[in-house]
Amino acid sequence: MNDPDPRTLERARRGDTAAFEDLVRAYQGDVWRFAYHFTHDRALADDVTQEAFLRAFRFLKGFRGDSRFTSWLFRIARNCAMDQIRARNVYVERVSPISGTVADPQARVELHAALGAVSAEHREPFLLVEVFGLSYQEAADVLGVRVGTIKSRMHRARRAMMQALEIEEDAR
Amino acid sequence: MNHDQAELLLSARLDGERLSPRAASSLDRHLETCAECRAFERRAYRLRESARIELAPAVPDLVEPIMSAVRSEPRQATRLHDVRPRRGRGAMPRLAPVAAALLVGALAGSLVVGGPLERGPGGSALAASDVTEGIAAAAVRLDAYQATFAIRETHLSPEVPVRDLTMSVWFEAPERFRLDVVDHTDYPSPATPTHLRLVVNDSTWYASGPAPCGTARCPMRESAVRNRLPFSTAAPLPGDLILPVSTLMDPDRVTVLGRGRALGRPAVQVEVPFERARPLFPFLEIGGAWRPFFPNDRVRIWLDERSWFPLRWEVFPATGSERDQWALRFGLPEEPALQPVFSVTALDVGMRDPEPGIFEIPSVVGTQDQGARPVLLGQVERETGFEPVAPTSVAGLDLYRVVLPRDDSGGALVAYADGLAFLTLGETRTWMDDAPFGPVGVQAEEIALSGGGVAYYEPASGEHARRLSIHAAGSDLYLESNLSRAELLAAAASLPVEGLPMPDAWRVRGSGTTVVERMTLDEAREAAPFPIALPRSLPEGFGLASVELVDAGYGVGVTLYLRDRDADAGIGTIRLHLEPATALPPASSAAQSGVDVGGSPGRYTPGRSQLEWIDTGIYRSLDAPGLPLDGLLTVARSIPSGSEGSGR
Repeated sequence: MNDPDPRTLERARRGDTAAFEDLVRAYQGDVWRFAYHFTHDRALADDVTQEAFLRAFRFLKGFRGDSRFTSWLFRIARNCAMDQIRARNVYVERVSPISGTVADPQARVELHAALGAVSAEHREPFLLVEVFGLSYQEAADVLGVRVGTIKSRMHRARRAMMQALEIEEDAR
Repeated sequence: MNHDQAELLLSARLDGERLSPRAASSLDRHLETCAECRAFERRAYRLRESARIELAPAVPDLVEPIMSAVRSEPRQATRLHDVRPRRGRGAMPRLAPVAAALLVGALAGSLVVGGPLERGPGGSALAASDVTEGIAAAAVRLDAYQATFAIRETHLSPEVPVRDLTMSVWFEAPERFRLDVVDHTDYPSPATPTHLRLVVNDSTWYASGPAPCGTARCPMRESAVRNRLPFSTAAPLPGDLILPVSTLMDPDRVTVLGRGRALGRPAVQVEVPFERARPLFPFLEIGGAWRPFFPNDRVRIWLDERSWFPLRWEVFPATGSERDQWALRFGLPEEPALQPVFSVTALDVGMRDPEPGIFEIPSVVGTQDQGARPVLLGQVERETGFEPVAPTSVAGLDLYRVVLPRDDSGGALVAYADGLAFLTLGETRTWMDDAPFGPVGVQAEEIALSGGGVAYYEPASGEHARRLSIHAAGSDLYLESNLSRAELLAAAASLPVEGLPMPDAWRVRGSGTTVVERMTLDEAREAAPFPIALPRSLPEGFGLASVELVDAGYGVGVTLYLRDRDADAGIGTIRLHLEPATALPPASSAAQSGVDVGGSPGRYTPGRSQLEWIDTGIYRSLDAPGLPLDGLLTVARSIPSGSEGSGR
């Protein structure tokens, strides 16, 4: 995932709403998908996305570039998702299939079963790294853990998911 | 290497994490013989394919609802950092990035290294933080390095308008380093050529070169250190030549000019002022004669985009009357702003292991002893009477050396390292001084650690890396590191101690009738009989570090210390002192001149970089070692007058 043009970011930091709109347009898809993987609910993902950008707008002045903009934004989105989950107490460990994709439904069900077989602790880094393409450092920034932790969780997540997928393959 | 280790490395490599050359080659060797791990790799790729295809649900367009919520946000009050100058550097006019890139491209295109810059629309722009983070990450992975550079210097003297030298560099992580400079200049009259050598080999250190002298023939000077402290800054290892970790550590101070090619590789070009790029010119400190540089001269660095090795760096003269006057003082000829006055160009760079013997230290009479006695970690308790605390997070660094320093603290120093990155942890149980343990002053910034407790932090300076001191019940600790501020704080937070606030004996100092007391800004606002307003405009990266109340017997004043959070290079600490007065104190220097500070009559003392003025019955004094007059004025004029803006 690319970081925004520093000039756009700087303009948005100084309160330029047109520049901020560019950022919303560029990153709303990633934030929404990320929120969806947390909440498993389209309406909740909409709320989280909206709240995350609103918070980003409020805090942008304080964004100091300690991490990449995308890591920072994901960190906010993750906090918003957690808040929503706590507030509504809706989070279910069971992962429901995502509607609206065009790919092979059989493979989709398998993958979601595999994701469900992984603990949240391992699912989060897996989604950030494997699906959103973040580096270990960026994922560590988002989740507030060490790079070494991401490294070992990725390894364990992979093993667990492969095992889950293979069990299904064997059962077929 | 077992399966678990191999899979862990495979998994990381699959995710684009770079392995050290050593780890990569032993992983490849393991894969050749291990079918199970090869299968793991294939399955991981299959998993990736399904994950990336599957997890892409249709995304709604939320721009409208988000933006209407954003527009209905109340406008925020202006805060301290809102009106900071944008990477301004005094009087130096800045080119817009695109224009600058074109200009440099045109210039660099004619050179051997550095093709035209590209700044494509959208995606291809690199942020300064990409560069700093890339370098920091590469520093941890680097095991070995060798390179040769050509150095070209202009205007050493009217007789020597151009000099050509070569510089060779060898490195083996974490603390073996050698630098040789060979001077090829054909001097018109007898002169001592600038041949230099610097060798660092763990606990030993050696440097040789001509002693700077005013005459044509200068004596050669040799110095050596034994029992060197790990990562001693008094006997330094100039690692920035390999990866400019300290020069480019602060994204706020780095300007990315664009991308292009250098030495045939994709490269990115960045710019920093000379004062921050000093670590890229360590040879200036070793000996010999060199031309002078102005603090605001611009250093443009081409970095290999894959390895982040610096491939070429050039110094371009700053512009403006201050630079012109400075050049006159040194007898320099006119130096056009677009022509480099000094350049270092890589001829050959690689991560090859240096030949054995390259780091051998010549024997020297009169070696200085730093007194660091090596011990094993397990022996520390027997020697000092305590078992040293260990952080649970050291950013993945490995335990490297443990020494007992020969000072009266009776403590131990544990060093962690990986590649060029290091962290040292000093501990004592018998700290008696009325100041923080280690190279940390009483005006250091108080930081709440995420694990609870507080630490006192100071940014990197010419003498020390970033560091912090912790005062805990029964023990005192300090940490010093070239890791990022966040990583240093994380390491501190992971120590099994709780940092206490400074004891009163440290916070309160007195001399004669004057008592100085460190306190929080809120406490100072309670205690001072006048409003305390902070400057709204500070150089990029600066913030309030600490506050002191000064009671001189006849009245109360307040001193604010404002510091860069990452590095002290250049500007140093900005000090703002306020106290009630109706007139400036008597003049104390002949060089003082009158200036207008936002409508109030003021006084500027260049020798102290100090600005003084009276505003609504309050005497204000502002000083910063490296801030020129216009920089001081920018800060001074941003301080709200009188009671305006003094509250929250």
